[in-house]
Amino acid sequence: MTSVGDRAEGWRRLAMSVLLGLLYVFLYAPILFVIYASFSEDIVWPFPPSFTTDAYAELFDNSLYSDALKNSLIIGLGSGILSTLFATAGVIGVLRFPSRRRALILIAFLAPLFVAELLIGISSLAFNARLLGLPGNLFSAIAANAVEGTAFAFLIVLAQLVRYDWQMDDAAMVFGASPLRCFWEVTLPAIWPSLFGAFLISFILAFNNLEISFYNLGAIPTLPSVAWGSLRFGLGPELFALAALTNGLVFAVFALMYVLMRTGIVKFGYRGV
Amino acid sequence: MTRADDRPASLSLQSVSKHFGPVRAVDGIDLAIGQDEFFSLLGPSGSGKTTMLRIIAGLERPTTGRVLVRGQDVTTMPPYRRRIGMVFQNFLLFPHKTVAENIVFPLRMQNVARAERDERLLWAMKLLRLDGLAERYPNELSGGQQQRVSLARGLISRPALLLLDEPLANLDRELRAEMEVEIRRYQKELNIPFVYVTHNQEEALTMSDRIAVMRNGVFEQIGPRNDVYRKPATAFVAAFVGQSNQLTARAEMVGPDSLTLTWRGHRLHLPHPGGIKAGDDVRFFIKYEDIEVTPERTAPGNHVGGHLRDIIFKGQTANYIVSLADGSEIIASASSRDQKVTIGEAVSVTWPASAGMCFKT
Amino acid sequence: MTRIPPLLLLAGPGVLFILVTLLLPLLAIFMFSFWRTESYELYPDWNLDNYRVLFTEAAYRTFLLRSLIGALVTSLLCLLYAWPVAYFIARHGGRYRLLLVLLLAAPFFTGVILRIAALQGIFGPGGLINMALGIFGLPPIAALMYTPLAATIGHVYLFVPFMVTAIYLSLVNFNFDLLETAKINGAGPWRAFIEVTWPLNWIGTAIGLALVFIPCLASAVTPRFLGGPSATSFGMSLGQQFGETGTWALGSAMGVVLFAFSLLVLAVMGFTVNLKRSGFTGMGAR
Repeated sequence: MTSVGDRAEGWRRLAMSVLLGLLYVFLYAPILFVIYASFSEDIVWPFPPSFTTDAYAELFDNSLYSDALKNSLIIGLGSGILSTLFATAGVIGVLRFPSRRRALILIAFLAPLFVAELLIGISSLAFNARLLGLPGNLFSAIAANAVEGTAFAFLIVLAQLVRYDWQMDDAAMVFGASPLRCFWEVTLPAIWPSLFGAFLISFILAFNNLEISFYNLGAIPTLPSVAWGSLRFGLGPELFALAALTNGLVFAVFALMYVLMRTGIVKFGYRGV
Repeated sequence: MTRADDRPASLSLQSVSKHFGPVRAVDGIDLAIGQDEFFSLLGPSGSGKTTMLRIIAGLERPTTGRVLVRGQDVTTMPPYRRRIGMVFQNFLLFPHKTVAENIVFPLRMQNVARAERDERLLWAMKLLRLDGLAERYPNELSGGQQQRVSLARGLISRPALLLLDEPLANLDRELRAEMEVEIRRYQKELNIPFVYVTHNQEEALTMSDRIAVMRNGVFEQIGPRNDVYRKPATAFVAAFVGQSNQLTARAEMVGPDSLTLTWRGHRLHLPHPGGIKAGDDVRFFIKYEDIEVTPERTAPGNHVGGHLRDIIFKGQTANYIVSLADGSEIIASASSRDQKVTIGEAVSVTWPASAGMCFKT
Repeated sequence: MTRIPPLLLLAGPGVLFILVTLLLPLLAIFMFSFWRTESYELYPDWNLDNYRVLFTEAAYRTFLLRSLIGALVTSLLCLLYAWPVAYFIARHGGRYRLLLVLLLAAPFFTGVILRIAALQGIFGPGGLINMALGIFGLPPIAALMYTPLAATIGHVYLFVPFMVTAIYLSLVNFNFDLLETAKINGAGPWRAFIEVTWPLNWIGTAIGLALVFIPCLASAVTPRFLGGPSATSFGMSLGQQFGETGTWALGSAMGVVLFAFSLLVLAVMGFTVNLKRSGFTGMGAR
C-alpha cells in the first residue's frame, strides 16, 4: 500500500535501508574477517589467501583451552537449565494467575538486566567469599550466571506465551486432567519451542560470559577468561580460530532459535514478532 | 433527495480505478456527492468500498482517475493537506492522549488559536454528549464513548467531508441502533457531506440519502435509498438489499409491462422490467413484507397454497414460513400482533402482481 | 492445611533465587563499603573512609566522569542509529523482520572478548585498515589506536544490538494505523512521528537507553583493550580493587557508586514515563 506523498516517503525508506545495511557491515565485517583470517597463514595481512588449519591445530593442542571448554560447557548447561526452569515457572505464574503482585514479580525477574555484569561478578565474589566462606567454584559461577540468564529467558518465554490461550488448559481440566497432567499433555507440547529457545539463549550467554564467571572462578579457566589472557599479548591465530568457532556456535544457536520461533508462531497462530 | 446542480459537488470521482497487481479493487468509478448528502457505499467484503474510501482520504493513490474535493483536484495531495475528517471501525484514538487532546488534534495540526480550539472543543463535547470525559484516556472509555470521541475528532474542524469506515461494526446491537439515528442527525445539523462505508444494509438504509451498492470494484446500482430497496437494478442488489424469496423459473408470456411465468406448477404474474423474452430463464425476487399469509385466499393477485411450518417471532414483526406441497418454502413477514394463522394448518400465500423484481439469468 | 497460592508456587522459586543471588550480594557489598581492608582481608570496622577516598581523590573522580561521559555518548549514538534501523525492520521488514532482527542481536552473544578481538582484527593497530594504509604508504589512522574514540566505537559495536532490539520490540506492538489517523487529521510525516510514534514508543526507547548506558558505565574490558593508557575507566579501576590490589572495601564502595548511578538512570527514565500516557493497557493476557 503506498500512501500519497510517496516520493519523500520513498527516500526516507531508502535512507533507512542503507543505514540498516551499514549496520550489518559494521557488525559482520569483523566477524567475517576473523573467520577468513583464522584459515590463513598470515592472520595480520592474509592476502593473497593461502589457506591452512594451523590455527585450529594450535587451539586444539593447547590443553588450557580444552579445560576451559569443559568448564564453559558446564557453566552454560547448568545456567541454561536453571534459568529456563525459573523463568518458565515464573512466566506461567504471572500469566495464569493475575494478581496485584504481578508488577513486583515482573520487576524481580527483569531486574538483573539492569545490573552490570561486573557488579554481579564482584558482588557475588564478595558475598560468597566473605559471608559464606566459600571459595569460588563452578556452582557459584553457575548460580551467578543464571541470574542474568533467568532475566533473558523470562523475556523470551513471556514474549511467546502472552499469545498462548490458557482456555485450552481450562478445557483439559474440565475433562479431568490434573494441573500437572495438563501441563505435560497440553501446555508443554505447545510451548516447548519457546522454552528451548530460552534455554539456548541462556546457555550461550553463560557459555561466553567473561565478567560474572571470572570473578566467581578465580584461577579456574573458562573459554572467555583464557581468551582474555591471550588477548593481553595481542591477537594470536588460536584466538581467531576460537572466535571463528564461537561465532559458528552462536549462529547455529540462532538458526535453531529462528526455526523454533517460526514453529512457535505457527503454533500460536501469530504472524508478528 | 435532489441536488442543486449549479454548485460544484463536494466530492467527485472521475473514472477512478485502483489496481493491485491483476486485481481491480476499484474499476472506473464516477461519482458526485453534494454538500447536504449522506451517502453510503454498501457492499460485501472485498467489494472495493474500503479501497475507495482510502482513495478519497488520500491514503491510497488511484491508478487512474481524479479525485476532486469542492472542485479542487486533490488526486496527488497527501492526506494531511486534504482537510477531510475520518472515523474508523476500530476508533484509532491516540492512546497516549486524553479525550480532549484527541478531539482537538486536527485543530492543533491546522494551527488554530487556543481560544478558538477551546471553544470548538466545548461545542464538540456538547454535540457528542461527552461532558465530563475530557480528561479521561481512551482505554478508560466504553466502546460507545470511544466512537463518540472518534466522531468528535472527525467533526471538530468542520471538514469538507467526513468519511466513516464501518464505524458501528464494533458496537453491540442496541448501541448501533442508537448511533445510527445520531450520526444521521449530526449530518443533517452540520450540513457536512458524509461518505459512509458499510456491509450492513440496515445501517445504510437507515441513515443514507443515497446508496451505492458495490461489487467487484464497480457500482451495481447507485440511487436514492428507496430506489435501491424497491427497484433493485440487478439480481445482486435484489438479493443483497432487504430480505427476499428467490424463485427460479422460465418466462412464458411477455406483455409490455407484465410477464407471466410458471413456477412449480403455479402461474405467476409479475411486473416486466424489460429485456425479457418468452422462454428466458429468470430469477424472481419478492420481498418478505410484500407477501401475505392468510387462512384463506382473500386478495387478488398471485396465489400459492401450502402449510404454515413455523412462525419466527422477531418482536415487532414475525416471519411466516410456508411449506409448499413440493417441499419448497416461501417466507412472509408481517406484524406479529394479530396472527390469524396457526402452525401446521393450511394457508394461502398471496402477493400483488405489481410486486417483486424479475431478472434474466 | 493452607494451600499455597499457585502464583507463589510458580514464581516464588525464581524470585527467591534472584533475591538470594542478586540482591543479597548487592546488599553485602553495600555493607562492605563501610568496612576496612587490611592485607587482603575485610574487617567490620564501620567507617566512611572508602567514600571519602572516592570523592576526594582526583583519579577516581576522573574515572567516574570518563565512564559517565563515555556511557552517555554511546547511548546517544546507539539511539540515533538504532531508531531508523528498528523502524525500517518493524515497518518494512515484512516476513523477514524476525530474521533481520535476530541477525542484529546474534553477534552480542559471542561475548565481549571475542568481539573485541574481531574488532581489533579490522580497526586495531595491526588490523586490516591500518595494514592496508601501510601498504599504500599512508600513515595509520591515529584516532583508531588506543583512543577514547576507539573505545566508543567498541562500545557501540558491543551494545547497539540491545538498542535496536528494544526499539524494535516496542515498534512491533505499535499500531501503525494511528499514523494514518494522524495524517488524515492534518499531521505531516514528521509531525505524526513527534505526536504519535515517538511518545507511544518512549518506554521501549528508554529501556534501550538503560540497557546500553548501564553496562557501558561499568565497562572494564573494552577501555582496557581499545582505550589506551589514558582511558582507565571506573569499571577497570573497580575490577582492580578485587584483583591486583585486593582492596575489597574500596571496591565495594565503587560498586555501590556504580549501582547508585545505574539506579539514578533508571529513576530518570522512570520519571519520564507516564504509564497512562504511554498507551500501556496491561499485558493483554487473556
